[in-house]
Amino acid sequence: MMLKSALPFLAIASSFAISANAKPAPNPPPYAGIYQPQGVDELGMWREDDEGERRLAASPLVIRDEKLTKYLKDVLCSAVGTDRCNSTRIYVVREPTFNATMSPNGTMRVFSGLLLRMRNEAELAAILGHEFGHFESRHSLSKFQATRRGTDMLAWGALLASMTPSYDSRRTYQSLEISVYGSLFRYSRDNEREADLLGLGYLNKSGLRPQAASEVWQNLIGEIEASATSRGLKKPRFDAVAFTASHPPEGERAGYLAALAEPTGADRDDGAVRYREALSGWLPVFLEDQIKLNDFGGSEYIIAKLSESGWTPHLWLARAELYRTRGHQRDLVNAVQFYSNAIALDSNLPDAYRGLGLSLIKTGDQTQGQAALSKYLALKPNADDAKMIALMLPKEPSQ
Amino acid sequence: MKSIVWSIALAIGIFACSIAPSFAQERSAIKQGFELAPNSGKRILVLRPSVRVGAQSTGGLFEPNADWTEKAKENIHRTLKEYQAKLGNATVVAPEAYGESAQIVEEHMALFASVSQAVIEYQFFVGNRLPTKKLDNKNDVFDWSLGTGVSELPGAKDADYALFIYNKDAYGSTGRKILQVMALLGPGVAVQSGEHVGYAGLVDLKTGDLLWLNADAAMGGDVRELEGSQKRVSQLLEDFPGSNIGKE
Repeated sequence: MMLKSALPFLAIASSFAISANAKPAPNPPPYAGIYQPQGVDELGMWREDDEGERRLAASPLVIRDEKLTKYLKDVLCSAVGTDRCNSTRIYVVREPTFNATMSPNGTMRVFSGLLLRMRNEAELAAILGHEFGHFESRHSLSKFQATRRGTDMLAWGALLASMTPSYDSRRTYQSLEISVYGSLFRYSRDNEREADLLGLGYLNKSGLRPQAASEVWQNLIGEIEASATSRGLKKPRFDAVAFTASHPPEGERAGYLAALAEPTGADRDDGAVRYREALSGWLPVFLEDQIKLNDFGGSEYIIAKLSESGWTPHLWLARAELYRTRGHQRDLVNAVQFYSNAIALDSNLPDAYRGLGLSLIKTGDQTQGQAALSKYLALKPNADDAKMIALMLPKEPSQ
Repeated sequence: MKSIVWSIALAIGIFACSIAPSFAQERSAIKQGFELAPNSGKRILVLRPSVRVGAQSTGGLFEPNADWTEKAKENIHRTLKEYQAKLGNATVVAPEAYGESAQIVEEHMALFASVSQAVIEYQFFVGNRLPTKKLDNKNDVFDWSLGTGVSELPGAKDADYALFIYNKDAYGSTGRKILQVMALLGPGVAVQSGEHVGYAGLVDLKTGDLLWLNADAAMGGDVRELEGSQKRVSQLLEDFPGSNIGKE
């Protein structure tokens, strides 16, 4: 009874679906000028968020590289247009997972793990445009209000159910609970779809190749599969929606994003060379963070994808470190090979000599291993672990 | 029947619990052997107080309110200034920090928040006390530190101690208040309306030791009004070493 009368009033979930045969995403609505928060909820959220941004700006997690931040801002501007993009501030957060977030007041957090996985400007622009779509549609605010409506109703429902304690009222309350939580999660997924649609609208209008948006998700599916395979897990499903999923499944997104991309944009530039150039200084650091995640399959997949545009010394070094840190004897043999490849391309990589030496010693090749370690110390005499490494070298003959 | 009421209490309380810390009583502690005499010529650095004010929705969510927060901030600032004389020692307001020193301030604010939460959780809340600290607790040992890094805080050179202040208020919305009354009249379930948490701490700027901490999960005084915030600040600074606040 109560459930029936309550549901229309709830109305927090509108059905919003994009079919995989959708037409290309329409142009975004005209820019409405600088936005200021309105109403007590939004003012309050922005106020909290301004404080949060103040803390973020002084956080040790933020990568303070003016050039990199400016480059990301330029990519965002090229996607959403220079008028829109100035309402956001981008912070690169050193966090090796695939994510970017947008908060109500226009604070955009881009995780370093995202930058590692993107292969060109168009892919990056697809993600940044999606996040900007959340901002332009004020999703945080509507999500907060929907959550409040839902939890308010649950509080009243709980009260009513306890007034007439019976099996029926309890069951009704429980179904209400499930439908409220379910619709809140669905609401979140619908917001994501809407942001995807807007993001593709920006991308279609920009000078970048919109097909890249779908490739981001295809690539991520590949990584998740590789990670699951190497851990011996059941093959993950990319089409099923879990009850608590906050985002639509990767397969669905890859499908409709491909359909939303303007077909005539397929031969546009995707800025792969510019992207690699801009990220070149940070790539070794991001790779190192990724390897420390202890996700062998996923890391191997990322390195393989990056190597499609040619093996660099740092890629060989990263692959070698990945194998050495897993550390089976068979891995060490491979690692020796990869370190040697890195050294062949760049003979001044101290970390390659360090890893090579450690791997060689573990596989029984003491002499060559020690030679590599002394080379490491010669190249990097002030290394943090210099004293420990020196212990592994033959002692100087005492006088 | 019992299980229904239980599940209901759970449902109503579930959002309140996520914001309410697990301490309910007022507690304060002082490091053993620490004494701060009035007019001892010591200087206290007052760091930017953290103030959040909002409403509590019927379901228990925190609804931040910008206007109230601004008002409360101003009221608390004004009251702190007025109370400078009562603190018994000279106070210095921390200078605005830029660049690297802003990062140092941020890290220490976060560190202080974590340390004081740990004190509240594991020392003030008796049920959570660690078995390994039994002896310490029996002897009233209060030994916590932020480390000597605090001496790098901007303004630390000109002061001896730093004062940190945290404040969070969620005023029960009309809906929450009605729910509270109805729940009490109907099934007899107690629903908490509103949440007023605050804590203040004094840190030695040379050693980083936490010298004094006062925490209260049910504070009085409406910080949106000047008078109320005077009551609030005097509660926060109650038992402040070397002061007569809250004792007159």
